[in-house]
Amino acid sequence: MKNKNSILVLSCLIIFLFKIPAAAQPNDECFNCHNDLDDAVAGLYKTDVHFSKGISCSACHGGNSSSDDTEVAMSKENGFIGVPGRKDRYKVCISCHANKDQMKKYGSNIPTDQFEKLQNSVHFQPTFNNQGPIADCITCHSVHDIKNVRDKSSKVYPTNVVELCGSCHSNANFMKNYNASLPVDQVAKYKTSIHGIQNAKGDPKVAECSSCHGNHDIMQVTDPRSRVYATNIPSVCANCHSNSKLMSAYKLPSDQYEGFIKSVHGQALLEKGDLSAPSCNDCHGNHGAVPPGIETISKVCGSCHVLNMELFEQSPHKTAFDENDLPECESCHSNHLIVHPTDEMLGTGKNSVCIECHSSSDENSGYVIAHNMKELIDSLKALDEKTKQVLDEAEQKGMDVSDAAFSLKDIRQILIQSRTEVHSFSIDKFKENIEPGFEKVNKAIISGDDAINEYYFRRIGLGFATIIVTVLVIVLYIKLRRVENKS
Amino acid sequence: MEEKKSFKEKSFNWLDKRYNITGLITFAKKKSVPKFRETIWYYFGGIALLLFVVQVISGILLLMYYKGTEDLAYESVHFISTKISFGWLIRSVHSWSANLMILAVFIHMFSVYFLKSFRKPRELTWYTGIGLLAFSMAFGFSGYLLPWNELALFATKVGTDIVGEVPLIGKPILVLLRGGEEVTGATLSRFFGFHVAIFPGIFVILLTLHLLFIQRQGMAEPDTYKKLPENEKKTIPFFPNFALRELLIWLIVINVLAILAVFFPWDLGTKADPFSSAPVGIKPEWYFLFMFQVFKFLPGEILSINGELVGLLLFSVGGLLWAFVPFWDKRTPEGKRKLILTYFGVFVIIFILIFTILGFILD
Repeated sequence: MKNKNSILVLSCLIIFLFKIPAAAQPNDECFNCHNDLDDAVAGLYKTDVHFSKGISCSACHGGNSSSDDTEVAMSKENGFIGVPGRKDRYKVCISCHANKDQMKKYGSNIPTDQFEKLQNSVHFQPTFNNQGPIADCITCHSVHDIKNVRDKSSKVYPTNVVELCGSCHSNANFMKNYNASLPVDQVAKYKTSIHGIQNAKGDPKVAECSSCHGNHDIMQVTDPRSRVYATNIPSVCANCHSNSKLMSAYKLPSDQYEGFIKSVHGQALLEKGDLSAPSCNDCHGNHGAVPPGIETISKVCGSCHVLNMELFEQSPHKTAFDENDLPECESCHSNHLIVHPTDEMLGTGKNSVCIECHSSSDENSGYVIAHNMKELIDSLKALDEKTKQVLDEAEQKGMDVSDAAFSLKDIRQILIQSRTEVHSFSIDKFKENIEPGFEKVNKAIISGDDAINEYYFRRIGLGFATIIVTVLVIVLYIKLRRVENKS
Repeated sequence: MEEKKSFKEKSFNWLDKRYNITGLITFAKKKSVPKFRETIWYYFGGIALLLFVVQVISGILLLMYYKGTEDLAYESVHFISTKISFGWLIRSVHSWSANLMILAVFIHMFSVYFLKSFRKPRELTWYTGIGLLAFSMAFGFSGYLLPWNELALFATKVGTDIVGEVPLIGKPILVLLRGGEEVTGATLSRFFGFHVAIFPGIFVILLTLHLLFIQRQGMAEPDTYKKLPENEKKTIPFFPNFALRELLIWLIVINVLAILAVFFPWDLGTKADPFSSAPVGIKPEWYFLFMFQVFKFLPGEILSINGELVGLLLFSVGGLLWAFVPFWDKRTPEGKRKLILTYFGVFVIIFILIFTILGFILD
């Protein structure tokens, strides 16, 4: 008897678990009938979040779910639509998901603006053969086995979303229909990134596709509204990387964003809107994001600062930095908080970065070279300033010194080039660059002085001429008086 | 024994035999200038002549380096002003002398007008004088464009636009002046041609006639002078007295010219760019300023006629009245003759002065 009872309880339990729906609708004859027929779709639907909410098949397919008569239940008069068409099937979803009241009825507090966002997204544009939106609700959330996004088996769960996006974005044949120039290796790269490695381990907190690109409101990367538009990237990365609680779990600092926005790069990008300025992804990569290694920093910086990189790599500092495990550019310029370099960073003054390694007692000549370079730059700047004053004075005196003033414009360029040449850390190469500047300044100052001298020469000349004319006038006048007196 | 003659005497005799120098001296000795309160005005014709000579000499010197093409005009003037020895002085003297010459011509013209020296038998002297004034202004207008700077380009545009408003013949004249529809490098080449070849040619003919008429008829005597008894009529011998006085004034004028050239060197401005928008404060030379200002004040339409056309008509009528004063003056009733003439002259001077001043002070 005890066994009988046990079998009964077990049977009931099996039936309850496998046969009877989680939130069975006593009147959902659609489901009952399809389930009885062992229909695979009905089998799938039992795992669907909508099924658990007691939503009948007729909610999407129409018809009368309370009738077990197929003629009645699946009649057009009762609104049966069968399988919704590709073009309009999203309408079935939004009939509830864009309707707050409807969602409340099911006790759901999911936002109801997904469709509004989707409508403006790149995915909602029509397919190349005009078969409806490129991607609609079903494309990502699936159908009949839709899970709560927090459900690990959901297609859009953080650890699954990469494969989901990759199903289209890694398919070159598919992607070329929409954007042939868009790479299709994002997933492959992502898997090599720190984010990807952690994600593959099942960590749902690391960044995946939707963390950066968004979900329903995905825009083209060139669209300023896109979350991954150049000027928006720093704040997107900062969503996680400025979260000290989240970052502490990975033993990572969380001050990069604060440093970046104060940096020369951050100010150019975020304040001036200069899209050529680097954002986080320009140094760290985007899909394959990794922190650059010590030896590779100069390559990262050198992708923009090419000359500086080339000069550094040929300089004696390259070997010295490698041997001492010093990060190359970062040692002098910092990383996220890179401020505009000043001439004070050079030389042997108190703000110099050279003296952090070199001292006056150095056996090598680094200290002397740094001192000489700084002195040459300072001298050229001072001479340039003095020359401008001389030329200004000449100009104020009405003299034309435009040629000399024009030649002075080269000094700015020479100074920029010389500051770049600093990275060769060779005084000879540096002199080669800066010396033409001294020649130009000297020529210009001579022109300025000549113009001022010419100014005084003109006045003195005029003075003499006036004296001569005055004498002539007096002589003429005397002559005239004599002639007139005679007559 | 034949008296030994000096080299000077020998040379004089040699020339006299061939060119009758004694005849010229006799003519010069006879030449005299009436001496009265207004004799001072007689010097302005000579001043204008001196300044014209300065223009010719400085112009020829500038011509050695100036290039009359769109690409090189500005650069060549800049080169003259900065690189050529005394180039700055030549250019400045040329510009200042041009302005002083027009001023002298204006003063000379008004003095002739108020002294009524244009009356019979000197009508042709007046007409040639009016022609010389017109060509002096044309010299100024064409020369203003030659440095090919921004201000000159747009002032030329405005100036030639006004010519284009003349019905029927306006457009063809505008195209003829500009060498096309717009002010371009073609206009510059054309203006250069006018300035250094066509205008000087005509000017010299008019000037020769003008001087010839004066030599032939002698200096005009005003009515008040004519009415004096013969014994009260004072004269100054032209040679050497008047000539020495004129020379003295010329020296002063040359010195003034040098002071102006040194202390206020003529600015070159920025190079003209026909595609740029018009800069603020375009103004023509001062002697066109009164006309420019009147055109600025005129409304777009007056009695449904284009305002600029009305302005042009008024200036044309006024100009013709002025130019042909010898013609209408003799037809005015004897009693009011002097009055009408004086009122008209005073009105013209006040009109020009007021609108020139407004042109300077208003933007």
